[in-house]
Amino acid sequence: MTHSAIQNNFDLPQELCVKPLVLVGVSGLDTLNNAIHKAIWETFTGGRRVERSPVVFKLISNAHEFPVVKPKRNSYDWYIPRGILKKNWMNKHLYEIPAVTVIFYELDWNDPQWNEKMIECASRVQSMRAALEGRNTKITVVLIQNVLPLPPGEDILASERAVSLCASCELNSQSLFILPIGDHLQGYAIRLENAFYEFGQNYYHSEAKIIRSHKDHLNKNTHQYLYVRHQFKMAFLYELKQDPMIAHKHYSHAYNNLLEIRIVDTNALEIRMVAGYLNYKLCKLLFSLNLPRDAISHFKNHIERFKHRLGFQDLAFEHYAWLSKQFQMFGDTFDEAVKLGLPAVQIQHPGIYYQQAAQYAIVRKNISREICSKVTTYPQPDPLENFAHMEYYGQRPWRPGKLSQEAPEPQMESNGIQALQYLEKQINHSNIIIALYGLAISQFKTYRCPRTRKHLVLQMADEYYDSQDYSKALTLLSHMLWDFRQEKWWSLMSNIMEKALKCAFLTGNIQDYMSLSLELLGKSSSVSLNNKKRIYENFNRVLKKEIPFGDPDLPHDMLQKAIIIWQPIFTSPQLNIALDMASITNCIETKARFLRKTYEVDQKVAVEVYLRNTSPFIMTFSQVSVTINTPVFTSEYAVNNSSIGLEFTSSEVKKFLIEFYPDPNDILKDIQIGNINIQMGMPGCKLELKFNSSNDSNGVYPEFLHFKHTKEILDFDNIRPLSTATIVPRSSKLDINFAHKQPALLGEWYEVCVHIDNKESNPIENLEIVLSLIEEESPSTTEISNNSEGTPQTTPLNLEIKKQMNPGETTLTYFYLRVHKVSVKNIQIKLTYLLCNDNSPVISTKTESLLISVVQPFTLSTTYLSTLMLDINTFYVGEEFGIMPAISILSTWPLVIEETSFEFNPSVQSIETNIKSPLCGMKLNEGEIGTELFLASCDRATDQNVTLGQYNIKWRRSDGRLCTTSKVMIVGYQVLKVPLKLGVTLPAHGIVRTPTVVNYTLENTSNHLIQLDINVDASDGFMFAGLKQFMLSILPHSTQTLKYNLYPLLAGNIPLPKLNLNIPANGLETPLLRQDELNALVQRSLPTHLFIIPQAKGITKLPSCVNPQNITVK
Amino acid sequence: MAVCVAIVGKDVSRNCLEANEITLKYTLMIYEYSCLFLEFPKFISCLNPDEELSFQYKVLSSLDIVEEKINGINKASDNRELFLGMLYALETHKIYGYVTNTRMKFIIVVDSSNMALRDNEIRSMFRKIHSEYADIVGNPFYTPGEAITFKSFANNIKNIMTGTV
Repeated sequence: MTHSAIQNNFDLPQELCVKPLVLVGVSGLDTLNNAIHKAIWETFTGGRRVERSPVVFKLISNAHEFPVVKPKRNSYDWYIPRGILKKNWMNKHLYEIPAVTVIFYELDWNDPQWNEKMIECASRVQSMRAALEGRNTKITVVLIQNVLPLPPGEDILASERAVSLCASCELNSQSLFILPIGDHLQGYAIRLENAFYEFGQNYYHSEAKIIRSHKDHLNKNTHQYLYVRHQFKMAFLYELKQDPMIAHKHYSHAYNNLLEIRIVDTNALEIRMVAGYLNYKLCKLLFSLNLPRDAISHFKNHIERFKHRLGFQDLAFEHYAWLSKQFQMFGDTFDEAVKLGLPAVQIQHPGIYYQQAAQYAIVRKNISREICSKVTTYPQPDPLENFAHMEYYGQRPWRPGKLSQEAPEPQMESNGIQALQYLEKQINHSNIIIALYGLAISQFKTYRCPRTRKHLVLQMADEYYDSQDYSKALTLLSHMLWDFRQEKWWSLMSNIMEKALKCAFLTGNIQDYMSLSLELLGKSSSVSLNNKKRIYENFNRVLKKEIPFGDPDLPHDMLQKAIIIWQPIFTSPQLNIALDMASITNCIETKARFLRKTYEVDQKVAVEVYLRNTSPFIMTFSQVSVTINTPVFTSEYAVNNSSIGLEFTSSEVKKFLIEFYPDPNDILKDIQIGNINIQMGMPGCKLELKFNSSNDSNGVYPEFLHFKHTKEILDFDNIRPLSTATIVPRSSKLDINFAHKQPALLGEWYEVCVHIDNKESNPIENLEIVLSLIEEESPSTTEISNNSEGTPQTTPLNLEIKKQMNPGETTLTYFYLRVHKVSVKNIQIKLTYLLCNDNSPVISTKTESLLISVVQPFTLSTTYLSTLMLDINTFYVGEEFGIMPAISILSTWPLVIEETSFEFNPSVQSIETNIKSPLCGMKLNEGEIGTELFLASCDRATDQNVTLGQYNIKWRRSDGRLCTTSKVMIVGYQVLKVPLKLGVTLPAHGIVRTPTVVNYTLENTSNHLIQLDINVDASDGFMFAGLKQFMLSILPHSTQTLKYNLYPLLAGNIPLPKLNLNIPANGLETPLLRQDELNALVQRSLPTHLFIIPQAKGITKLPSCVNPQNITVK
Repeated sequence: MAVCVAIVGKDVSRNCLEANEITLKYTLMIYEYSCLFLEFPKFISCLNPDEELSFQYKVLSSLDIVEEKINGINKASDNRELFLGMLYALETHKIYGYVTNTRMKFIIVVDSSNMALRDNEIRSMFRKIHSEYADIVGNPFYTPGEAITFKSFANNIKNIMTGTV
């Protein structure tokens, strides 16, 4: 037990680490026999939570003996301290000497035996006081009462008796408490506790004051230790008082005083240890005061100061053990603070200190190996036997309390050192180091340092290796390999792999050994060629079932052990090693691809497999195969290696082709390249390597690879794997062509000719061709037909076609389409047939689609004319007008107008009886316009625009066979009724100085009398005879004629004398006509000019066409 | 005088795995992973080749801090500053970082005892390395995304390290 304590000499003592609490001694409670006492005790001690006062209770029996008080010293003049900190002092104040003692006593105010009990209580107080003679411990009394107390001041008996009790116990009245046993025990307990806590604080404060008073007696020459000790004591007492600020002040005084002490060999250990303790306390207080920066900087200074104070050369390991412990301790303190809510950051967290602790632990290990190797025996007599009874911290057991001035006794000293070295040698350093790494790793993980963590894991693995725990080292290394592989940090990778290979060799892990060998042989590992060669030879030895040679730098005994491990592996007759190379960048690179994305079901699927050997040596395989995954099952195809061979020289690339027929069940499904399997080895030892085809481990941007200059014939890098292919139905070799004249015209039967050309190498049978419309709106605006007569049929429509076709034969069929809406039609043609194959007929299909756009063939615009050929916008009842439809052709193909007709509505009369359209048979090209004229009149007045009738145009393409009739509704204008009709009879032309006659006819169509003022304006071009100004009355349904003789004076288009019709100012009271109607009537009915031709010289006979002759215009 | 210079970059190949429908999700995952974790050493130069391995580990560890700093910068508005300052102060060495706009990381390791090199000197050293690197990327004989193996580049970097340029 003592030995392990010495080995861990630098562990912090437990009394230093606990949180100091006010110690309260409790007496008078019989917790074993008395239930009430037990309940009280448990209320005080059980379930203490954070918010309760920082007090700890200690049960004191009646016969308890407290530590003896040391005699008071009046002067320190002759006192020489023998050490810095006494080992028992902290314990004494933490656990032995209470700040407050509480005497529990059961006594009610109205107790019948009051006096007797009061005396007993007083005697108990007295005996306690005697036991604590010389101490300043506060004594208090708590009366346990069954009767609930009355409010203060009301119970006169109680106050009287309390006074008397205090007097007899010689107690201050504030030191007497009542604890009623009732429902609120907990509440009373908390209040009592607070009171005790206050007393305790006062106690510790006065104790500290007493120590401070010693300071005047000290001098710096002989009492340097005491400066430290007293400051430490005060600090500790203030800590007990729960005053961290002042405690910190005194600790730092103590630390500074300590630094002033001159360090010699004899006290180095003691000072170093005490410094460690003080530093611990300081850092802990700084963290709890929320001053982490100060804590860190204090710790750094502390380490900086002591780092180079090595102390005894022969015990140098002690120094590093201490340093390691300091870092670990600080890490713990830091971590504790973090757990209490201190935020740590990535560059400042406990892990850093654990890591440093581990580093120093490694130094310790190395130094102790160096120093302690010679020590083999433990010296007798045991120089360390006093270790457990040392009075001071950090002194050598073989010379306790010796002051620095005295020269050490050489024999004792060397024995002691030897003993320590011997013990050091027994320590399992690796365990310590690994544990520290473990702490650091978990911290680095928390603070997002994945890479640093990896590095630490590797260091941990090194430590495992060092402690000869190769299997654990291998496990850690292979985990890390995985990560580094991702990062492609090849130089680190190679370093790790070499270590792992050693571990695999030493543990006889053949799987890892082979896989690491392959990986190390690859081009990306940065191992020297000599090493690669060795690895390659060992690899081949394993394949030959021979034990590989170990690393030349391995010590002999380890090689021996490894050989013993390897031997049983090769005893089995068949050695199978299966390695998954999916994510391992090794010396064999594979790529596999389908040659196409889709394969037809009657074609062979071709898979190309490329293999490359990137190792510097020859690799020979015994078999290469590829697995193909279909949705249902997986099949494996081996490459045919007879022609190419499976021996690969360095960086040789070989291509293998695998072909197979797909399963017809996989139509429209994907097939995938699964794994590429390579087998190596001799009979009796088979090494199976499984590569993942989609493994793109060495893939760089494919685009970038074009930059790469390659001399190889097979450009391995530029091969892009294609690992998925789809099986599709066979594609038909029938050609379908459409012959038609786009665009289709609205309403026509549009003819499409389908040419089918058999380019299959075999005859076909049962040819069927089905037409359907795609995306047709409903109701359908399309009619289809398969005969030229244009009988509409339903879709899908079977087209008539020859059922059999020989190779090279061509056939054709027609279909017709009529569309009643301007749009684009999508037509699909599907061919189904049986291919008469050599072995079995195959059903084949082919689908072709055709887009047809439909356009207007022409547009129709209609204009209306008066009898004077002027545009009009009103019709009048009984007056004739002309309807002039104009067909303007939009079709790119010329159209022929077969026939036009106008079907008049009943309210409209055609004036002509026998109409022959001038457009009939006319061929019109794009952009041309065809017009004709119909004369009509309306017999009824309407306000709405009158529908005149339907205009029918029968047309066809100039090269078409089927005619189409387009029907257009013609809508005119509104029809007004005017009761007066005005007509004129006028020759078509006149001749200068030849009189002509003009007759104006006025017809009253109403049942009323019409009176008009008529006058005729004079004209420069004519002399005329007739009534110039007069009033005319026209009887109902009668006609008046005005006759004028005109004598033209000038030649040309001469204005006629203007006939004006006016409503008489003094005429009928309600005239049937308004003046504006009359003006409009005159304007539309009467010509304004007459063409006059000059008189011929002499008497010539005029041609008959100009023979003056009266034309009547109605 | 710096004792080690490293150029570390994202490994480009991971970002362009074929993204067909099946692997799309997987690819995205990998992509994110690559952004966070994958760093590919493009170039490392040490004055003392025997120590190269330990320097590589130091550089590797320092990338943790670089990553954290970059992510921090992303949040801040000003990300023009490429120099990241000192990443680590170990007992023996100080490590400085610099990151280009394309997230190429440059690391310089300096002896702790070297007091001559202050932030400004380190900064100008990084600038020189950056311009050397830019020249290399523009070199038609360099395949982007691969390690830099040009002798002239190694010499130039060495000169920058030793301060002879």
